[in-house]
Amino acid sequence: MYPRWLWPLTALPGVVWLLLLFLLPLYAVLGVAFGNVDPVLLQPIPAWNPADWNTSWFTHVLGQLVPGNAFWDVFVRTCEYVGLSLAGCILIGYPVAYFVARHASRTKSLLLILLVLPFWISYLMRMLAWINLLSPGGYGLRFLSATGISSVLFHLGVISDPSNYLGGQSFTVILGLIYGYIPYFILPLYASLDRIDRSHLEAARDLGASPFRAFWHVTVPLSKTGLLGGAVLITLPMFGDYYTPNIVSGAPTTSMIGNQIDLYFHGGPQPTIGAAITILLSAFLMILMLYYMRTIHRASREIPA
Amino acid sequence: MTFHPRESRGYTRREALLRAGGAAISLSSIPGFLAACGGSTPGTTSTGAAGGWPVGPGGIPLARASHPVTLKRWEDPIASGMKPETGGTFTIFNYPAYIDPAVLKAFGKKYGVTVKVTPFDNIATGVTKLASGTVSPDVTEMTPDQLPRVVAGKLVKPLNLDYIPNLKNVWPGFQSPYYDVGSRYGVPYTVYSTGIAYRTDRVKEDIPNLKPNPWDIFWHSQKYTGKVALLSEERETIAMALLHRGIKDINTEDPTLVNRAVKDLQELYKICSIKVGDLQYENVPEDKAWLNQAWSGDMLAGYLYYLPNKQTGKLLRFWNPGYGNGPIGNDLWCVCSTTKKPVLAHLFLNYMLDNGVGYKNFVDFNGYQPPFNEIQSESLIKKGVIPETLASSVLTERDFGPKALVEAGLTNTGESLWQNGYATFTSGA
Repeated sequence: MYPRWLWPLTALPGVVWLLLLFLLPLYAVLGVAFGNVDPVLLQPIPAWNPADWNTSWFTHVLGQLVPGNAFWDVFVRTCEYVGLSLAGCILIGYPVAYFVARHASRTKSLLLILLVLPFWISYLMRMLAWINLLSPGGYGLRFLSATGISSVLFHLGVISDPSNYLGGQSFTVILGLIYGYIPYFILPLYASLDRIDRSHLEAARDLGASPFRAFWHVTVPLSKTGLLGGAVLITLPMFGDYYTPNIVSGAPTTSMIGNQIDLYFHGGPQPTIGAAITILLSAFLMILMLYYMRTIHRASREIPA
Repeated sequence: MTFHPRESRGYTRREALLRAGGAAISLSSIPGFLAACGGSTPGTTSTGAAGGWPVGPGGIPLARASHPVTLKRWEDPIASGMKPETGGTFTIFNYPAYIDPAVLKAFGKKYGVTVKVTPFDNIATGVTKLASGTVSPDVTEMTPDQLPRVVAGKLVKPLNLDYIPNLKNVWPGFQSPYYDVGSRYGVPYTVYSTGIAYRTDRVKEDIPNLKPNPWDIFWHSQKYTGKVALLSEERETIAMALLHRGIKDINTEDPTLVNRAVKDLQELYKICSIKVGDLQYENVPEDKAWLNQAWSGDMLAGYLYYLPNKQTGKLLRFWNPGYGNGPIGNDLWCVCSTTKKPVLAHLFLNYMLDNGVGYKNFVDFNGYQPPFNEIQSESLIKKGVIPETLASSVLTERDFGPKALVEAGLTNTGESLWQNGYATFTSGA
């Protein structure tokens, strides 16, 4: 028999990792957000003791996070972009994951390799590829024009200029986000769909459910954890993304909250503001995370052993 | 804080300019240059906050051409006549790819050291790394506005100019510049200006002769929507908006002026769906941008390396606002406090000011113009390095005269004001 402490001990590296590389840095950011700045070298002076916390930076950021002020606008825009990108990932990613999990028998391995393939190329390079594709004369732009997609998007009001996707259009940023993050969404969803016992679906069909009703009432609920897992996996980094709008747009009107954090951490006398925005964003994401954990917990209780 | 032309948020234009070997620029050799760069009375010492003059980091008065500053030596310079240290590694802290490896190799061979470059993304992060002690280089690249900060923080050492006789090779005004009278801590490296790059096949306005103010073109660029961009630098964008209003104090810390400039910039959202970025050297030649705030030399690099085949350099133009009408700047070399080779560090500064070395670094690799007396624009044009249509990319000594608009250091309050203004602009609010 193994000693009782053996298996808990295997969690130790993860716990140490979490403490050293997540909780400690998080507290450091907190210390910076509530700290001060060295007036000579503009280095943040973290306030480690909560009793010494300087709340003025937080107050400043909160003041900007009300309707009509700069941080509010960019925060709302970020939420919109992330929400629409998530919707896009679900619309595109769910059918793909479903097909690979349920219908790709002999080609499953190949398709999985293809799904992982984008990870072999850096995110930055993949985004830069869009620049060439959507540039004047680029294959992507020509395709969109030739197929009439540009025209449709223009008439729907999705884009303001069908010949200039790189001219600061929200659509392009959302497209970039979907393209960049969708592999991270599909893989956990695929894993979840692949685990669904086919007998559940057969039971539904035997009981008279149409294919769609079986899908809607059996497959979708059983894949909810994968769906949420994939959603969490992509929305968290999307909220902090700043290079995608930088690369495919560059317009202030398409910037995200990550751009503001980058700006304040990039240099200058107010790294504390960058830290304060980071903490507030983390708090917001924590709410989403709590919802995810609660849902997962419920789902695990509902699934029969 | 002031951003340097090489600072970009994604990719450095450095990567382009390093290949813009011949990029050149130039200078007339108008004698008697500026007391200007050095102010009208070089050698005088500001007395700090006396008389209400604002101070920057460490209580050091803000340097202006009209108000030269002599930086106090926080320790004695090294003694004269010592032999250079040899062996081991000599570390240069610099922008990525901002110095010719061949030049460095020759220096290492000459003094028997291995030369290593430690890069930083921008001068602010460079100063941060120096301050935190995460790097310990021998020499560092610096900008005039950050110089008081690193001096006050004792991050750079006072110089002994006996080791740097080549300082005589630079324009007189840079031998004792207003931001460091007597060159106590730094020697110049390169110079640059800010203007407008545009394509003549797309932009029909005669920008240089636009009345009342060529900078206004950005506010009349509706027909170029989506193809108009500004530099992604807070000092450059807000300064441009100030100049658009005819305000030449581009170092103002008046919240009313700065905030109005930000509002003017925000108007550009609707006028032309304005973009910000630092890829103008690529975007204008490749037709991705038609009208772009740019640094001198950008179109030269664009002409040399980014203009697609079958297109002529005549398509590209750079409007240089000219003396006293647009921002100009320079950067410099300093010896780090962390150096274990202080004599060799001095000799490196001297080496970079050697006419042959500086010219090679400029035309073979760097593309940024050193303020050397010997470099003549005429000869560079004659050699075909500079196309005639881009002659306006060339800086001269006169550009750094007494009325030059330099993005100089600000107080911490001023830096916060400008940073918050830029954050508001880039938020798209």
